[in-house]
Amino acid sequence: MSTTIEQSSTHGGVQTRPETAINTAKIDIENLDFFYGEHRALKSIELKLPNRQVTGMIGPSGCGKSTLLRVLNRMYDLYPGQRATGKAMMDGQNIVDPGVDLNSLRARIGMVFQKPTPFPMTIFENIAFGVKLHEKLSKSEMEERVEWSLNRGALWGEVKDRLHTSAMGLSGGQQQRLCIARTIAVRPEVILLDEPTSALDPISTLKIEELIDELKNDFTIAIVTHNMQQAARCADQVAFFYLGEMVEVAPAAQLFTAPKEKRTQDYVTGRFG
Amino acid sequence: MSATLSVIPGPAKDMNASLALGRKRKRANRIVKTLCLTATGLGLIFLASILATLLSKGIAGLSLTVFTTSTLPPGSHGGLLNAIVGTLIQTVLGAAIGTPIGLMVGTYLAEYARDSALGNAVRFVSDILLSAPSILIGLFVYQIVVSPLGGFSGFAGCLALALIVIPIVVRTTEDMLRLIPSQLREAVIGLGAPKWKMIVLICYRAAREGIVTGILLAVARISGETAPLLFTSLGNLNWSLSLTKPMASLPVTIYQYAGSAFQDWVDLAWAGALLITAAVLAVNIVARTLLRGRK
Amino acid sequence: MSTTTETGAPPLTGRRGSNLGDTIFAALAKLSGIFVLAVLGAIIAALALGGSKAFIAFGPKFLSSNDWDPVQETFGALVPIFGTIVTAILALAMAVPLAFGIAFYLTELAPAWMRRPVSTAIELLAAVPSIIYGMWGFFVIVPIMSQYVQPFVIDTIGELPLIGPFFQGPPFGTGILTAALVLAVMVIPFIAATMRDVFDTVPAVYKESAYGLGCTTWEVMRSIVIPYTRASVVGGIMLGLGRALGETMAVTFVIGNTNRIATSLFGPGNTIASIVALEFPEAETGSLKLSSLLALGLILFAIAFIVLAISRTLLKPGMKA
Repeated sequence: MSTTIEQSSTHGGVQTRPETAINTAKIDIENLDFFYGEHRALKSIELKLPNRQVTGMIGPSGCGKSTLLRVLNRMYDLYPGQRATGKAMMDGQNIVDPGVDLNSLRARIGMVFQKPTPFPMTIFENIAFGVKLHEKLSKSEMEERVEWSLNRGALWGEVKDRLHTSAMGLSGGQQQRLCIARTIAVRPEVILLDEPTSALDPISTLKIEELIDELKNDFTIAIVTHNMQQAARCADQVAFFYLGEMVEVAPAAQLFTAPKEKRTQDYVTGRFG
Repeated sequence: MSATLSVIPGPAKDMNASLALGRKRKRANRIVKTLCLTATGLGLIFLASILATLLSKGIAGLSLTVFTTSTLPPGSHGGLLNAIVGTLIQTVLGAAIGTPIGLMVGTYLAEYARDSALGNAVRFVSDILLSAPSILIGLFVYQIVVSPLGGFSGFAGCLALALIVIPIVVRTTEDMLRLIPSQLREAVIGLGAPKWKMIVLICYRAAREGIVTGILLAVARISGETAPLLFTSLGNLNWSLSLTKPMASLPVTIYQYAGSAFQDWVDLAWAGALLITAAVLAVNIVARTLLRGRK
Repeated sequence: MSTTTETGAPPLTGRRGSNLGDTIFAALAKLSGIFVLAVLGAIIAALALGGSKAFIAFGPKFLSSNDWDPVQETFGALVPIFGTIVTAILALAMAVPLAFGIAFYLTELAPAWMRRPVSTAIELLAAVPSIIYGMWGFFVIVPIMSQYVQPFVIDTIGELPLIGPFFQGPPFGTGILTAALVLAVMVIPFIAATMRDVFDTVPAVYKESAYGLGCTTWEVMRSIVIPYTRASVVGGIMLGLGRALGETMAVTFVIGNTNRIATSLFGPGNTIASIVALEFPEAETGSLKLSSLLALGLILFAIAFIVLAISRTLLKPGMKA
């Protein structure tokens, strides 16, 4: 099964995007460890997230890929007993440094979760909520910002006539795009997506993948996914995680068609996972 | 779509304004945190103050005679024996009457009537009785037992306490039975067991700690109740074990003694207050430990 | 195991024994459920019947009259109704902010090692018998009120126009405000524990999304947790109100027990529960006074029932008290 390795082709049905050059790093992770209490969940991670490109993170459940995302915006700080050591440098600042201002860090590194999490307010208020935390805008500026974000979230056309109705009334796919728009509205530099389409139907998934493609013009994106096809379609570079280690990172085409590591090869060809 | 993208240029925030706003937000956060810490501190101070008062005043009145002698007129070194025994009798009997009924109601709600109209009505009413003013239970039992039978009695006190026990046991029993995974039920039924055996032999066993916790909490609650006993068992200054005559109880004796003008009675009231609180809190802690051990 | 249903043989018929067992058990369970409804009906009927004499004798004036004269045999419910509602609402005004602070602290702010002990301490505060609150109020709070708080307040706030009259009068230490204070301490743990349980029901992922946008803890509480749980929080507060309305022993010790509508918060008063507790032993069987007390009981039951019914509707069913 693993004997034939063809260029840009159909390994396990995986279609990869044409290879592009990898940009310089926006976030540079060096020797990063993470602990849940005594358990070492991430082991000496080395990974660069290229500026304004998409990094896909794949690997079996529990391999640490979601944990790494939660390190990057310090979500783990909410839970006692969880800690990270090492470096994750962004613009000369170490993200895991205890002295980092978490609120502004999270304004710069946005996150979208597996399940849509619309807040119990109107669509407009959902978007404005995050913006108000960090900026003081006039009413017209805010309206402009909301429209801009919803446009970028590819949702404007569908909701422009019902901005002041509850966000809970949207469909699952629309709710997820609302969450992406809400994240964009704060104008972060990096967007972390934690399996953003795993709770959605295929059509909504497709829309969100198109959106990701569009967003990388302005944002650095990291996406965790269980779906190798999705990683191949969206990502410029893909990192494979296994048992808390970052096994291999390479441009998408290369990782799926000519992995260097045996474990990567076994995973992408479906030996385990 | 991309025509609208340039309405607002990329990330170029006014960092200073954002930082100033951030400082303001953090200040608000700090203020709220401090207030919450203060509130929690106040709550703990109240508890500490109550316990400290009980200990300092209660230990002074505590002596062996408290446990060996019944209540006596002021100045003659009485104890609380009749009140302690009366409370034990009424609490145990009240729990013994109320628990089986509460258990059956809880079973009905969890196993038979999860979503039926009757079940919802029973659940609603039981939850209201759970928080209903206990003095009204006393008035009720006075009207239906004491008044027709022509006298206050320990039995009436037991009934009033039983009525308080029922909704407490209902609540914990239903909650605990609902926690049992449906796979366990299906497995038992799948073996061909009838439903009532599934409930009695498997569900009760699986929920045992929780149900016992509920009963213990109910016992703790009724052993400290005063208001429902005022018009039912009334209180009795003499030694009496008869359920058909007025019966003493610790809370009612404390109530009568605490407001009296005789210092030795007031001291006894404090000793009784210390005893009853220690007992109630001890039962509570045991009940909570039991529940926690299960989780 | 004691029945004969487990014969070992597997025929598909012949399960009559277990069917009978099931029928009996289900009937017993249902009967117990109906018994609970019957108790509610019986409480209403017993109080209504007992109070009917007073309702007939005084008519609607029973609700509006502030007379309570055992010699003339004229009784009115206005003063105790007023005292019941005022003390309960004042108590809530003091208890709700504190209970919210405690619940917020326990769910979001406290370090992990502190949560359980502090939580347990608050729950123990709820378990202390109400008569102990009464004694504590009478022997600890009343002296503090009469020696320090009331003289100070009378000299300062009592001198102000408009609100001054609410804080005047002799500093006895007892009175409506003291009763409300003791009630507040009593209901704080109930409200705090309910709020804590309610706050804990907000899924972590919603809070994380808000933190992910850069919210502070307080902003997450204000904008996410409270809107999500608003109905249940109000339900928890109403539960506390229900407790405060019907509390007897804690109030009887400290309210001063006077059948007069006080104009000052330091003035004495009474509540339905306190007047019933104090005057019932002196009322003779079949007397108009006894009937009036039972009528008061019915009124208290009606008020408490409405409050608790609202509370139960707002709280998710099965949430503990």
